[in-house]
Amino acid sequence: MSQVADQAYLNTRVSVMAARLFAPSLVERLAHLPLSALVEEFGLAALLDDQAVPAARRRAVEQSLFQLLLSELLVLTRPMNANERALMLDWGRKYALYNLKTLIRGKLHDLDRREINDNLFELPAHIRLADKELFGAENVLELLRQLEAGPQRQIARQAREVYEQQREPFALEATIDQRYFIGLVRRVQVFDEPHRQWLRRLISAELDRIGLLWMLRFRFTYGLSPSETYYWLVPSMRLLTRERLLHLVDLDGFEQVLEALPEPLRTRCADCRSIAEIQPRLARHSLDEIRLVLARSPSAVARALAYLMLREADLLRLFAVIQGRLLGFDDRIIQHALAQIEPGVPGN
Amino acid sequence: MKHVRLLVLTDDLPRASLALAETQCFHPDRREPESERFATLPGRTFHEIHTQARARLDKIARLIPFEPATSLEPARVIDQAELARLNDWLGRLWDETSSYEEDFRQLDDERHLIHEQQAALENFSHLNIDLGMLRAKTRFLNIHVGLVPRENLRQLEGAVALAGYILHVYLERGDNTHVVIVGPADAKDAGLASVLAAAGFQAIPIPEGLDREPTELQRDFERRLAAIAEERAQLTETLQRWSERYHEPLREAQRTLQLADPLVSLDESLRSCGHLTHLAGWVPAHTVAALRERLDAALAGTYDLSIRDPLPEERPLVPTVPVKSRLLAPFALLVNQYGIPSYGEVDPTPLFALTFLIMFGSMFGDVGQGAVIALAAWTLRDRFGRFWPFGLMAGGSSVLFGFLYGSLFGYEHVLPALWMNPLSDPLLMLRLALIWGVFFIVVACLLAIYNRWAVGQWREALFGHHGVVNLVFYLALIAGGAGLADGTGFGTVPALLVAGSLAALAWHSWLHQQAPVGEKILVVVIETLETLIGYVSNTLSFLRVAAFSLNHVALSIAVFTLADMMGTFGHLVTVVLGNVFVLVLEGGIVMIQVMRLQYYEGFSRYFSGDGHAFRPIRFGRGPA
Repeated sequence: MSQVADQAYLNTRVSVMAARLFAPSLVERLAHLPLSALVEEFGLAALLDDQAVPAARRRAVEQSLFQLLLSELLVLTRPMNANERALMLDWGRKYALYNLKTLIRGKLHDLDRREINDNLFELPAHIRLADKELFGAENVLELLRQLEAGPQRQIARQAREVYEQQREPFALEATIDQRYFIGLVRRVQVFDEPHRQWLRRLISAELDRIGLLWMLRFRFTYGLSPSETYYWLVPSMRLLTRERLLHLVDLDGFEQVLEALPEPLRTRCADCRSIAEIQPRLARHSLDEIRLVLARSPSAVARALAYLMLREADLLRLFAVIQGRLLGFDDRIIQHALAQIEPGVPGN
Repeated sequence: MKHVRLLVLTDDLPRASLALAETQCFHPDRREPESERFATLPGRTFHEIHTQARARLDKIARLIPFEPATSLEPARVIDQAELARLNDWLGRLWDETSSYEEDFRQLDDERHLIHEQQAALENFSHLNIDLGMLRAKTRFLNIHVGLVPRENLRQLEGAVALAGYILHVYLERGDNTHVVIVGPADAKDAGLASVLAAAGFQAIPIPEGLDREPTELQRDFERRLAAIAEERAQLTETLQRWSERYHEPLREAQRTLQLADPLVSLDESLRSCGHLTHLAGWVPAHTVAALRERLDAALAGTYDLSIRDPLPEERPLVPTVPVKSRLLAPFALLVNQYGIPSYGEVDPTPLFALTFLIMFGSMFGDVGQGAVIALAAWTLRDRFGRFWPFGLMAGGSSVLFGFLYGSLFGYEHVLPALWMNPLSDPLLMLRLALIWGVFFIVVACLLAIYNRWAVGQWREALFGHHGVVNLVFYLALIAGGAGLADGTGFGTVPALLVAGSLAALAWHSWLHQQAPVGEKILVVVIETLETLIGYVSNTLSFLRVAAFSLNHVALSIAVFTLADMMGTFGHLVTVVLGNVFVLVLEGGIVMIQVMRLQYYEGFSRYFSGDGHAFRPIRFGRGPA
């Protein structure tokens, strides 16, 4: 009973906020809405009017949508206890890691400071990296060493060691992603039931999707060995578990892997011929799981996180359509882009 | 405060910024100019170069410590070309310096590895295999001995299994796990090396002659550690010798960057159109003449300066000049914790300081304990920084009230009381506390009225919280209450004033609500009741001033009662410990109570605290 009382406020908050999620009918007609209708429906007039250059308009919309998402994250964290807040902020920290990757790519390709800056997300203090100090680094190694002195020590140390040994940007980014998801899984372990059960389901939905895509790419596009492929993957707690991944990465063909997938992934991906075909199906699977958590979970923190994931996907859709309209794409291309939207992948 | 708008030639910007920094009276206004023609950002590149140069200098200074420049005189203009040259030079110097840093890191890594080897060797005895095999390459087996970060172990275990290898953990130490990975030489996975690299695997070289005496091996390790330490010392010396010639140039570089700071601080306020640049800011009225004079000297009249008073709608943007007095500075810090006075608002710092000291002293009056507080603040002034005068004055106030109460380290009969011991007439103390409370609240209300009147909020000054009507109500309530206490009754005039002022407040509240009638009635009743109860309870809050002065004496009595039950030595120890206890515990509580009275009963009435501090551009402040 006390648990119900403890979570009453957060549950109510999530339910109220969930009303903001896009209705299926809106998602369907999103690709057909002209820019003027989008601007009016989502109150973006001031934002777009102020910016003369299309790139600046696109950038302004992107920043504003992410500010909206992150401000909702902070609202949801207010009534939470320390563990719950830490999990939510960790989820938001992926944007800090996107910034880190942008900085790394910028340093690797010796990009202009302004050019790098234009591609960074403006983040609230709770989750951002010390971007200004990192900017001062002359190269990737120096950047990672500076990062090692901060809260991202674990990620930075591993990434630096990998980069020092391999000088391979792929390994560097894969390490950052892998460490991030392992950290997220660890965060979930400290929760009691029923939170843990539903949080595992939620995070597993992400890990299953990401794990399968990474596995197929690493094995059959990049041609990595089974052991190296397995090393980069993060086992999920539901479908693509450690044992299953060990089995799947050892298979030699794309079709064999799809055949050996656990249900419901096997049915979902049954007739796919390429990773591009698998991607939207996995995204749908993942979104269905997240929606189920939002609708049925008794855990308020799991529902809050599920809401944010869905909200993020909605805002990404909206951004994709606005971007498409600003670039003058037709409805068909925009619709195709919408089908690719996955939670957690901005700028897809 | 005046608002100034300055138009200068873009080429003159560095000179203009230098002049503004020298006057130390120009607080930039970051709003965009009204004219849309001023659209480009002329200071942006300068800012970026400066930021990079500053970051490089900071990194270099970590390895090459140098004495900072003692003076910025003579001040000179730093243009973009000079800054860019300096930045390039710092970049080249950092390239060289960072190689030393890398050498230091390598030495640290080597030392770390030897420590791991030492630990590993102790544990090799637990392995039931021929240790010589670990080093030798065999025809059929590949063996890797080393350490991996503990968090990668499980993932690595699966990965090596896929490659046909087995992983054996033989030692866990800190964040690392020591492992032996063994597999057939013709294992199907040739990519094990990249997996090991990805997992941060660090091979441990197996020392030659494992069959030697362990002590001999340990001596070997010690020798290598000593060699590393020596190498490190040599490297430090080499770095020092090499870097000596750079001390002066680095000092000069730091000076250059500090001289460039003003233009960097102005960056966000600068907008230009062609060759003309616009900047605006806030300047204290009495410094306008000096500013004009300085600009005349620097720009030889090629500028346009327009000055005006702040517009009413600009009031929230106008900065407030902070308190300069050294004595009041620590009190200003406490006031700033609540907020910075808005422009035009009375700065509460002097009143806060005075009332704080009176309340603290009266609640914690003891000559000895006050002297200890003052002495501690004086002795530890380096550690307390700007805060030490606060401790000194609080202790002084405590000493003063200690003389009035005749209290010395809790002894109540050693010093003759200049006034009286609080416990000798508790009722008088409580009455005085109430009178103090009434005085405090009335002053707070008067300030609230003045602050609103000063910013043109007439209606708020009259009917708002703690406005004129509230004050009339409160004074009438106090007069009536005093009559009741004297036995003469509440009195007709106070009763009429109370009823009238409450009715006025209720009517004002009614007019300003947009809700159904029922809700309006509910809100008006609750607000009126809250006003009545609020003022009564707030006044009673001040009883704590008397309560703590009584409590202080009572605690001392408790300490001495305990001390009297002991022998001479025990008495002494109990008195000393008791005084420490009173100083730490009660001192802390009294401090919190005074802050609470100041913040809640005082600031919440009259102080909005939503202003922002006046921060003029000056040398050495760094990027804005």
